[in-house]
Amino acid sequence: MKTLNDYSKIFRRYDLETEKAGAAKTVSTDPVLQKIAQFVVNGDEEGILPAVQEALKTKSPLDVINGALIAGMNEVSRLWDEGVYFLPQVILSSDAMNVGIAECEKAMGKAMSRKAKVVTHTAEGDIHDIGQVIVNALLNANGFEVINLGADVPVDKVVSAVKEHRPVMVTGTALMTTTMTAFPKIAHQLKLAGIEIPFVCGGGAVSEEYVTSFELGIWGKEASQAPGMAEDALSGDNWQTMRGKWNG
Amino acid sequence: MNAKQRVMSVINHEKPDRMPCFGANSTVTYEQMEKVQAFWPEGHEKAEAMAKQAMAAYTVLGFDAVRVPFCQTFEAEALGCKIKPGGTEGIPGIAHPPPYKLDDTPTFPDDFLSRGRIPELLKAVRILKKELGDEVAIVGGIIGPFTIAGSLVDTVPLLKATFKAPDKIRPFLEVGMKAGAALGKALVDAGADIISCEDMTASPDLIAPKTYREFEMEYQRRQFEGICVPRILHICGNVDAIVEYMGKTGAEILSLEPKANVQLAREKCGPRIIMMGGVDTATTLFMKDAETVRMGCEESIAKGIQILAPGCAVAPGTPLENLFAMVEVAKSH
Repeated sequence: MKTLNDYSKIFRRYDLETEKAGAAKTVSTDPVLQKIAQFVVNGDEEGILPAVQEALKTKSPLDVINGALIAGMNEVSRLWDEGVYFLPQVILSSDAMNVGIAECEKAMGKAMSRKAKVVTHTAEGDIHDIGQVIVNALLNANGFEVINLGADVPVDKVVSAVKEHRPVMVTGTALMTTTMTAFPKIAHQLKLAGIEIPFVCGGGAVSEEYVTSFELGIWGKEASQAPGMAEDALSGDNWQTMRGKWNG
Repeated sequence: MNAKQRVMSVINHEKPDRMPCFGANSTVTYEQMEKVQAFWPEGHEKAEAMAKQAMAAYTVLGFDAVRVPFCQTFEAEALGCKIKPGGTEGIPGIAHPPPYKLDDTPTFPDDFLSRGRIPELLKAVRILKKELGDEVAIVGGIIGPFTIAGSLVDTVPLLKATFKAPDKIRPFLEVGMKAGAALGKALVDAGADIISCEDMTASPDLIAPKTYREFEMEYQRRQFEGICVPRILHICGNVDAIVEYMGKTGAEILSLEPKANVQLAREKCGPRIIMMGGVDTATTLFMKDAETVRMGCEESIAKGIQILAPGCAVAPGTPLENLFAMVEVAKSH
């Protein structure tokens, strides 16, 4: 009698069409780099360290960063955009990437050179720094230095961080309607200080109409727009130009 | 038909005189506080102020139910979280650091119901029952297991654990389940007619639908199990990917944001579940005018909403006219 050992194809549920299947693509033909990229895709912050250390024996830190760590994170970003990956996976991948980048920077003896700084924060009173986590990961993966102020950040702290770090752009995230009222206050104080930089605001409760109602404000619809916006800010676009491009 | 009869008739699948309108979440605004002369932070801390503010939903807005509390921190505080006060304008939040790490074993205290501000919350319900109990439905709010777990260990570590070490989240879900269940039962004993569970962190915006299906659904079902009054389940955001499982938790009513697909929810959950929702609290109710609110409500009703409600917690700065507009629409259906 023929016995069946694998039930996976029999008991598979076909009614879960809301959950999409998809797999990461190969990002490098070099098996060493591909292995590291796979650790990023899998969000394995323990496994990635020995793999990066091994790779650094034969490869330059920059090759590992660009060819494996950032390439892997871009793949994660694609899976997120397509609805295959969910937030916990993006957080894990971002952490794994950062472990790898820190090791490469150690090998270089200096911090990886970055395009420019971006200050990110989640509004005061808002404990959900969730959207910001993705923004940070994507900016990082695209070569920006993220000054991460975290969640529940008072207005003054955002303004003083901008004064101190002189970023090309500042972002604010709010999931709650009760907290997004901090954004115009931040914009106002930056204006008063003579700092006219793009202030990208987004998150669950934040609407385009609201953000474009105050100066400096640019509405961020999706976290995935952040790197493109930062590139624009870096190339010298002012907030008015950026608002025209990214908003209504 | 009075407000309470209207709400109960919909829940019993009978035909009400018109559509009821009330919030599954907080509906308190600054203007209502002025009208009833009860303010924050007292409304989060003291039974009398809390009851006064809740009553405004009925006496000022004309909603068909009143609801306490107005924040999401009662269970968490009683379980050992530090509270960050919200002052006169905001709601209390959870302060850092959280009381537990993922490797810890959380405990459910025997004296849970006498901890933190829970006694004041229960007292507020007793006041509401005494003052308005015959005319208007009283909604008692609890928090879902996953969201409480997020308060106990912090959200980001919890989210990471859903993929990395999912078994470690079970003890926290267990405590969250017990906390909401105990509070729910106590609210019913104090006079609540309906229990509304907010489970913000269980949204597919934050966790994978797989995590909801394999973990949270069962804990939510157990949390609701011992509660003998109608139960509302509210999860923020677009819940299309989990709405089928929300319908299996025992909730009679699902509170949906306009981002969620009501027709899909109906298909997935069948005729037994009552759909509650209306307009987006941030982009419409807070930001737009009464006419836009009316249009949004009509649109939601056309899609199958049976209880008109703000999609989520009302922003305290929301203008009164916009909330009145909701009641107007409800009266015409």
